[in-house]
Amino acid sequence: MNDNAENLAQSFSMAELLVHALVIEMEAVQSYKELAEQMRDCGNSEVADLFEKMSGLEAGHAEKIIEKAGDLELPELAPWEYRWAELESPETIDLAGIHYLMTPHRALKLALENELNAMAFFEVIASGQVEEEVRSLAQEFAEDERQHVAWMHNWLSKYPPPDDDWDYDPDPPAAID
Amino acid sequence: MSTPAPCKLKASDYKSKTKPVWCPGCGDYHVLLSFAKAAAQLQLRPEEIAVISGIGCSSRIPAYLNCYGFHGIHGRALPLATGVKVARPDLTVICAGGDGDGFSIGGNHLLHACRRNIDITYVVMDNEVYGMTKGQPSPTTAPDWDSKIAPGGTGVSPFHPLVIALASGANFVARAFSGDPNGTTKILVDAIEHPGFSFVQILSPCVTFRPDQREWKNQVHPSPVTPTTDASQAARRVMTDDGFNIGVLYKGDRDPYRQTVGRNIRIERNIDEEFQL
Repeated sequence: MNDNAENLAQSFSMAELLVHALVIEMEAVQSYKELAEQMRDCGNSEVADLFEKMSGLEAGHAEKIIEKAGDLELPELAPWEYRWAELESPETIDLAGIHYLMTPHRALKLALENELNAMAFFEVIASGQVEEEVRSLAQEFAEDERQHVAWMHNWLSKYPPPDDDWDYDPDPPAAID
Repeated sequence: MSTPAPCKLKASDYKSKTKPVWCPGCGDYHVLLSFAKAAAQLQLRPEEIAVISGIGCSSRIPAYLNCYGFHGIHGRALPLATGVKVARPDLTVICAGGDGDGFSIGGNHLLHACRRNIDITYVVMDNEVYGMTKGQPSPTTAPDWDSKIAPGGTGVSPFHPLVIALASGANFVARAFSGDPNGTTKILVDAIEHPGFSFVQILSPCVTFRPDQREWKNQVHPSPVTPTTDASQAARRVMTDDGFNIGVLYKGDRDPYRQTVGRNIRIERNIDEEFQL
């Protein structure tokens, strides 16, 4: 439903690219952190640990982008002015995919989807009408995301898919009788 | 000596240290985020905001925000918010709650709050169910929603909050979707800035008792029309849409309520006389 998908291929300045890249990582840090807290509250510590780890990794990526930006003044955009292809920044987990009994496999699948979204985001910018240095940096960011995708695949191989009844709860939050 | 410029507040500055107890995946997390982003966008100081709520899952929101808050009683959020705004017109008053709280027990207050047109923003996180009390049908539940407590559905037509708000005199009417936190932020900013009573229905899925609402993200779409200042036109649009049009539907130009009557000295004197020893 987002008109911004059409705007994505339009020109990005260096500062715009950097501010988008930074917000992607910062919103991911926050999103994973909050999901970790939610999972821990539900007693799902295995997925909570995983989300905490993801949050830490994204924080590291954010620091690298801040370093890259150096003294360049980044624009202040309103939340709705960012040119995301979807409703949210590409590395923010879709809440509709969250379940209190989710397994690490499902969590990693969602994280993998995010990394793929981020990779596609930067690839579209790199293929748009942008200056050469912007294209080069967008390609670099896309390459970073490709590496994260590889990590996710590697991680996923350690967590086999759950049984079909993974969401079975012997004491579910049932409607009152 | 010059006064240092106040620090620019970030969205995270508006979140309190109290962690939400909503179910993982609940749409209200995103509404909380949109509240924080909207406050940051408007650069409202926390001490300039009062968030008033009733009872229900979504009504817990004042605890999770770093500003003045009042977690009131069931259905009475709007009278409380009205009192706060009349006593402290300098505050940005936001009233929040769910569809059960706002449209059932608090339904009558909604009508009169719209009619009075006091400068308040009322946000209803609508998940078409009473989530906190374990899944009873609410005023916005579809008549055929089959559940353990209402086998075969209630058979009762759902309440249409936006049309009711328009008919009752709300000065700003919009529908948002929690899964679009940035779009919701824009709508909240517009609602807060618009003078008079602003009503925002936010479709906010209850993933526990209404897991079918996870599909809402594939059903919502931007409203194809621009906001109108004609309430009857807006009502016709809302009555004929599919319930998933997202955006500002109506921006009225009615003057907001202003307190024009001073203290009634005569009544005050009479009371003083009555209580004289």
